[in-house]
Amino acid sequence: MWMVNLRVTSNARRVALVLAVVLILGFLLLPGQLQSVFQGVGGPLGWIISWPLSAVAGVHDRIAGVWGGYVALQGMEEENRQLKRELELLKEQNVQLRESAAATERLATLLEFKKQALPSLIAAQVIGRDTGNWYKTIIVDKGASDGVLPDQGVITPAGVVGRIVKTTASTAVVLLVTDPNNAIAGLIQRTRDEGIVEGTTQGQARLKYIPLLSGARPGDRVVTSGLVEGFPRGLAIGTITRIDKEEEALFQSAELTPEVDPSRIEEVLIIQSSLAPTEKERLSMPRHKP
Amino acid sequence: MKTLLYGVIIVGIVPVQSVLLPHLTLWGVKPDLGVVAVCLIGLISGELDGLLVGVAVGWALSLFSAQDVLTGAMLKGGLGFVAGLAGRQMVYLSPLVLVLGLLVVSCLVGLVTPVVLKLSPQQDLWWAVWNVALPQACLDAVIGGAIYWLMWSQFNIEQLMSESRM
Repeated sequence: MWMVNLRVTSNARRVALVLAVVLILGFLLLPGQLQSVFQGVGGPLGWIISWPLSAVAGVHDRIAGVWGGYVALQGMEEENRQLKRELELLKEQNVQLRESAAATERLATLLEFKKQALPSLIAAQVIGRDTGNWYKTIIVDKGASDGVLPDQGVITPAGVVGRIVKTTASTAVVLLVTDPNNAIAGLIQRTRDEGIVEGTTQGQARLKYIPLLSGARPGDRVVTSGLVEGFPRGLAIGTITRIDKEEEALFQSAELTPEVDPSRIEEVLIIQSSLAPTEKERLSMPRHKP
Repeated sequence: MKTLLYGVIIVGIVPVQSVLLPHLTLWGVKPDLGVVAVCLIGLISGELDGLLVGVAVGWALSLFSAQDVLTGAMLKGGLGFVAGLAGRQMVYLSPLVLVLGLLVVSCLVGLVTPVVLKLSPQQDLWWAVWNVALPQACLDAVIGGAIYWLMWSQFNIEQLMSESRM
């Protein structure tokens, strides 16, 4: 039996008490300033922690890879992965085609056709999940040094994943579309009715504020409306599974199944900049008068 | 030696919590090793160590979560400080008492956190208790109890604690 001496002197107790009082006062009186100090000084700490985090994530991925590739049905795993990739690409193509068809029809009548340029994307790998239980987030291996900033949108070829909420030098935290604290402006592809997509505590999503006269029905696809920063218009968010219409309510809402299963994401794309202006930017642009 | 140990805990807790623990969930909830580590350090080493390690652990964990950094650091720091104060009042701490203590403390932290974080209206107190606080408290208590029992069987914990409380 061996011992470690972790003696605390009465001086240390006084220091602890003073520190605790200072921290509590700071928390109560200067929360904003203290928050920015913690966030700013946290950069180097985050950078240091990102090393073991990446190392553990790498080992974890290798073990998962070995397990998936050799232990659990060697051939099927690869084929399944290939098919899933193809399916995701086809889904995305399908959404884009639907969106293009709807947009062409609408824009052609207005004779104000604008070619939508592709945004600049950064590929990132998922290296971890939220360290707590209160938020649904993923951690990706690209951070501020790669040009990743808070509020940038995150997608996969299948659809919207979420948005960046925090960055360190080499990692970023993505708040998932299924988190109740996340809100993304959405649009029902068929009816063109707009609303706000919010996550639910059940791990699904919900489109709120749909007009009462909307003809939305289960099976309709919901895409980004481009009204908020971070997401250009037309990215798939989910498919409506149920419409909730309460009596005397001003709006109806719809339950969505997100296009992307957050528990199975391995790689994501971060939308760094959108060359095409969002709806909000477009509306705020000064118009040239003839 | 002690500083090195604390450094390893602060740096190592993030990868364990974000990469490995999502595989060890109870109803989709994972244990909060930060709560366990800070409570044990506070109990054994006193208020100052509990407070400082708590602030650092909370800060580190919040950097890799959507949770705001200051709240995370303050909650864990406060927990470490209170654990240090509680440790000073105890003469003998058996693993069973520690398990019960951790269960209660983790539950209380789980109740305070959603209020401080101002979460979505969907995540009300009732939801927080049944879906996060209770399962997390059970896991924290079991893991904390196991770690303490291991320490108890390897080290002379009573002497260690009594020296710390002098």
